[in-house]
Amino acid sequence: MSYYDIDDILADANKFPCRFNYDIPGLGYLEGNIGKDIKINAKVELPLWLARILAIVGGDPGIGDEGALPFVELMAPDMLSPKVMNAIKSGPVTLDVHSINSHFYALAVKWATLFNDRDLVQILNYMLLERSQEINNFASSIQLEKLGRGRDMGPFMLTLDEFEKKLYRESHESCKDMKKWIVQK
Amino acid sequence: MSLPWKLQETFSPEEIQFIVENEPIKIFPRFTTRSKVRGNRGNKTGQTRWKLLTASDEPLNNLVAIQTTEVAFWIALLLKQQGKCSIVAPGWLRLTQLQRFIDYELKNTERFSELPWNWLVVAQLLFSKAADDLQDPVHLLRGKVQDLREIRLGKIGQGLKHLNESHLQLDNLSLLEINELRPFVLGVMNKLKQVHGSIADEQEEEQ
Repeated sequence: MSYYDIDDILADANKFPCRFNYDIPGLGYLEGNIGKDIKINAKVELPLWLARILAIVGGDPGIGDEGALPFVELMAPDMLSPKVMNAIKSGPVTLDVHSINSHFYALAVKWATLFNDRDLVQILNYMLLERSQEINNFASSIQLEKLGRGRDMGPFMLTLDEFEKKLYRESHESCKDMKKWIVQK
Repeated sequence: MSLPWKLQETFSPEEIQFIVENEPIKIFPRFTTRSKVRGNRGNKTGQTRWKLLTASDEPLNNLVAIQTTEVAFWIALLLKQQGKCSIVAPGWLRLTQLQRFIDYELKNTERFSELPWNWLVVAQLLFSKAADDLQDPVHLLRGKVQDLREIRLGKIGQGLKHLNESHLQLDNLSLLEINELRPFVLGVMNKLKQVHGSIADEQEEEQ
């Protein structure tokens, strides 16, 4: 996760549902009506790079006793709904992470950082461990004769998110090189 | 970048082989380079001498046929290629010894046997380049080495179930085996660390 990391940039472009806490003139283009104002309690889907900042910075701290509300309030996305969490708990390996969100881990970590979500971290930990076992199994089962032709991907391989794909590719390459070295002479 | 992505965080098996080829190994030379004491010590015979920078050249200039000497593995392989020496296989590369390691591996499911750190590379190199120098038939040795490798791979698979964000203890795992695991274990452990790091701030506040 660095400034120039393409996957991080793509993950940050994912939209999250937000609710505005203020009337703000001129910002209507976020909702699609250019030139209009944005109303309080308007629900807008904002990319995470924008929502993350707006959910932290707020209006005038001088007004009101309980401190200033931030510009927007982030609402729990579908990606982290109880339905998905229960699906993870029941069986991480059979879960189609790619169809939930192709940057699931990156976004979940960002979410956990924003909200200090301990439960989410525990679930992620479990999910990562279980799924990585399966990834390792797939990565290390290589038949060199089949490498040239396109290998048929099992259904599991189509459910990987971007981080898992990278992990799979790297460990697969490593096992492949190793096997090639052993066979070569 | 100037370094291909595959090599940025790990070694290729060929690089591991390169590292292992720097280790000393015993050989039986089949020729003599030691200059005779009786003659002029000034070496006026015009005989070519070994002058090496990265390996010790003293044993090479004192080779006596059929007297064991220790030289770097890569030199041994070069000499072997020309039929100028035979390589003495290390003690663990015997059927009985390998069988003892296999028994140990099977008995102790939670640890790896004390094979040398380069066992897989040495075995592979000797099998392919110096097969006639081994005391036991190569096909049997190959079988035993393959057995050992598979038992250890199975244990590694078990161990990966206990990956965590802080540490991993891998006693007696050889360099090549570590190298094969590296991208996977690092990837998973880095992600676990990231996942746990996302709530670390709160814990500090609590304390």
